[in-house]
Amino acid sequence: MTQATATRPTSLKATDITIEVVYRGIFQKTLAQRITRGVVLAARQRGLPGTAFSRYGDSPERNGVPAKQFAVVAVNDIELEASMARYEPAIVDVTVAVDDTLVKGVESWAWYGRQPIWKPVRANGVVLVTSDKSPDEILAQTDKTDRPYTLGVIPGEASFAGLWVYKDDHTDWRVLGALSKVLPDWLPLDEVKAQVRTQTKDENAVASVQYGHDATTFRPVKAGEGTDAHEKLAFTKPGWTTMRTGVIVDARKPGERNPQFKRYATRTQRPVVNFDTCIKCTMCWLDCPDECFEVTGSGHFEVVYEACVGCGICAQVCPVKDCIVMVDELKFDSNKTVFPEWEKDRNTYNAWFEKTSGRSAAPPKGEKAAVAVGGDE
Amino acid sequence: MKMAVETATGTGTLPQIKGVKEVPYDELFVSGHRTCQGCESALVMRHMVKAAGPRTIVLGSTGCMYVANTTYYSTPWVVPWMHTQLGASGSAALGTAAGLKVLMRKGKLKDEKINVIAFCGDGGGADMGIGAISAALTHKEYDLLVLLYDNESYANTDIQLSSQTPWGAVTTFSPTGSERRIMHTRWKKNVPGMLAAGHPESRYIAAGCAAYAVDLMNKIRKALEVGGPTFVHTLDPCPKGWDYHPQYSQELGHLAVEAGIWPLYEVLDGVVNLTGPTRQIAEGRKKRKPVEEYLRRQGRFAHFTKEDVEHFQAEVDKMWEEWLIPGVIPFTIPQKDVTLLNIDKKKPLHATA
Repeated sequence: MTQATATRPTSLKATDITIEVVYRGIFQKTLAQRITRGVVLAARQRGLPGTAFSRYGDSPERNGVPAKQFAVVAVNDIELEASMARYEPAIVDVTVAVDDTLVKGVESWAWYGRQPIWKPVRANGVVLVTSDKSPDEILAQTDKTDRPYTLGVIPGEASFAGLWVYKDDHTDWRVLGALSKVLPDWLPLDEVKAQVRTQTKDENAVASVQYGHDATTFRPVKAGEGTDAHEKLAFTKPGWTTMRTGVIVDARKPGERNPQFKRYATRTQRPVVNFDTCIKCTMCWLDCPDECFEVTGSGHFEVVYEACVGCGICAQVCPVKDCIVMVDELKFDSNKTVFPEWEKDRNTYNAWFEKTSGRSAAPPKGEKAAVAVGGDE
Repeated sequence: MKMAVETATGTGTLPQIKGVKEVPYDELFVSGHRTCQGCESALVMRHMVKAAGPRTIVLGSTGCMYVANTTYYSTPWVVPWMHTQLGASGSAALGTAAGLKVLMRKGKLKDEKINVIAFCGDGGGADMGIGAISAALTHKEYDLLVLLYDNESYANTDIQLSSQTPWGAVTTFSPTGSERRIMHTRWKKNVPGMLAAGHPESRYIAAGCAAYAVDLMNKIRKALEVGGPTFVHTLDPCPKGWDYHPQYSQELGHLAVEAGIWPLYEVLDGVVNLTGPTRQIAEGRKKRKPVEEYLRRQGRFAHFTKEDVEHFQAEVDKMWEEWLIPGVIPFTIPQKDVTLLNIDKKKPLHATA
């Protein structure tokens, strides 16, 4: 291996560097692996030891549930080992969010609460987001920060693939390019490109590294910038001395939802309902795996957005065209139910529905009106 | 003479649901569980307790529906729920049913009907727990239901192969490669058919799917209603391991049934009753869809060639064209022995004294 003999840079100020990739569980697991491994392999180009690992607590991953992987690179093995003697890096230099809706907060498990995307980023660190939106639009949905950092937006839509089939849209190479821009001492562009060239033998991949380096737009974020709109959600974990015998937990009361785990941070899209064309067939409510529909006095089904995970089943099983539409989560800054707005003033609600969903609120024309299904038998 | 072993009687209080409008609104398994987006097994849990009602104890063996539903010190269950070990759903159900019976006999608990349901995944049930489930199904003096939610892999530990994984599917134990395209070469074990054929004292065994919610809830209710040890097996599309967008969970459930891969049926007191589209297919009122429509929507079959699809189709065709009871019991009888099926039941075959 020629890499091992390369000279170690003496210009590095820190002894190690930690990069965190926040991603959508399962969908982006392979993508996150490719990014963190890419960082480690690039650092190997100049003899710097590194390691890539996923957060133990995220396993088993679930589709959509926010998860984390890390890449740690150090000046020598001792520093690497010291930096690895942590269950989960509490402070990172760079956070990469590979789906822009993650800036609304990260809730991985019950009791984590919903955490701001910048939570582990050190002061003057960097938050990189892959998005087709501008840094200002992203910041408008990011929690208010208590320390300054730099927000970088890597152009591109979120790359969602499944577990077995990797969607190779070069997001990994663009992210590595952007990382070489923010960490030029640790990951010089030329060495990242050399590594990607060796690894892929594909000049298009190398070009994507260059593109990520050049096209990423940055915006300094001062302490106090960001939004207050998102709900604060934090819990105190009971210690082992306060747990009850047999690890007994009180059951939920009828009509209650699990207050310790709200799940909406899993959502990349949310269902928006046209209550005027709803035929009250119950299918959305019946087929929802997360029990997030509430029946109203009028027999409609309203979405409880605190509980909705955005799977899209309701929109899929709804028999009426455009009655339930899945809309980009970044268009919303509240989990408040919208049904009372419709009850109050249908015209205003329908105008909002059309603006938000981009679909007509009028009943489908020229098609046979949907009939209420008597069952799914 | 009094029989040494009494027979359990069931509730007799859970009426069949006639349509979606009759499904109860009360949720006994609520929001706030760490399942995947579009998790069909979570839907099975929801329908299961919805059908059973509040006087129910649920026991869960290790698997997705244990780990995801009891995230650190929190729970979505409104009914009492207890974790039991992998493979222990049969014994846990039996022990709990027996314990309740004793407590009621001694007057320590009010004498009332309490449903006991133990669930297990395909790993915990069809692989590890099959012995204990089989044993439980022979104890006709206890009311219990074992529900096997089958997402066709060890999904909780990130998709390893189970005996319920379909032929050829990619799992972490059966990756596809350039040397060997198909690593998993065994056909899915026929669990409900096997249990129905081998447990004459279990009054009710059924196969369902949450994509047919009312049908599934009615099967749960019937199982609890007739009493004794009963078993329900559900096929649950799994966006994580099957690799499809979560919004298509219902559609894949429908396709599995419509392609004849997952027949819906129940066996009550030894009588087979096909339900839903499976009945329509058997009666010739509906054509089976090609299995390709089902396979091509899932990443786990993305490596399938035309020949692989044809093989899969041929195996499914066999279930329908050659099995003794289509989709349920897989024996065939040679043409020369067909008369054996028409035994004159009035004529005793055994020697008389």
